[in-house]
Amino acid sequence: MSDPNEMIVPPDLVYVTFIRSTPQKVWDALTQSEFTRQFFFGRTIESDWKQGSAWRLVMEDGRTDVEGEVLESDPPRHLQVSWKVAWIEEARALTPAIVTYDIEQTGDAVKLTLTQHNPGPVPRKFIDAGKQGWAAILSSLKSLLETGQPLVIRMKAPE
Amino acid sequence: MSTAQTRFVYVTYIRTTPEKLWAALTQPEFTKQYWFGVTMKSDWKAGADWTMFHEDGRVFDAGSIVEADAPRRLVIKWRNEWKPEFKAEGYSRCTMEIEQTPDSVKLSVIHEMDVANSAFINEGVSNGWPKILSNLKSLLETGSVLAIEKS
Repeated sequence: MSDPNEMIVPPDLVYVTFIRSTPQKVWDALTQSEFTRQFFFGRTIESDWKQGSAWRLVMEDGRTDVEGEVLESDPPRHLQVSWKVAWIEEARALTPAIVTYDIEQTGDAVKLTLTQHNPGPVPRKFIDAGKQGWAAILSSLKSLLETGQPLVIRMKAPE
Repeated sequence: MSTAQTRFVYVTYIRTTPEKLWAALTQPEFTKQYWFGVTMKSDWKAGADWTMFHEDGRVFDAGSIVEADAPRRLVIKWRNEWKPEFKAEGYSRCTMEIEQTPDSVKLSVIHEMDVANSAFINEGVSNGWPKILSNLKSLLETGSVLAIEKS
């Protein structure tokens, strides 16, 4: 078994999903609380989504889950943010990740590409948790936009 | 952990049952809908031959079933048969794991090859699986697939 606390600089995490929707609806779902609270483990989200603005993801009890800066914003096609996990003490000292959403119309669907780039070393357990988390979040987003019903997926935080 | 040198992993959660997902992964009436016309022939038992056909009858991929534990786990020894540079890399291994969660089913696809920087994995499989599995999820949750091009 790999040591969960080993510090690694991982390759970029890329997750692609195709969703029967429009780029604008996917953009809105990723950036507005009425949607994120349904598919993103109950989180709400705050920002004006302009380049240079702050953004944050907020837990149901009001604590900040993730915070960062909007690095690039071209609605409804491209959004890049810095991503600093704030609610886990051990994660606060790490170099923030760079998370990019690319949204592209294809046929009657939207190709959504999520890329997580970690410029600095991170404990392996956070990278593994991130892979599991993104798969659950983006699966639930697809269900929400296609059926009106998100999935209920429970997941533990890395220890 | 296996020692494969090139690996693609995709996880998706689908609102369905393990039995329905197993059927969708193995039976032609489902695969031809979400897998761009593809059908597969096998009796889905360990050691059995496995062949994947294009709708025009050409063989796309072929191999054998390594493990089959319906509806939980399927391992296929899998070689591409239509693109010479992919075929030259030899056999890959594709593991599909199906796990019930409270509200949905977790499907993990691990497709790996004991070749460094495998073109079949990095160019073929890595582009194909997200489309195929997005289509599969739409089919099982909404009853219809997406109108997207294979490539």
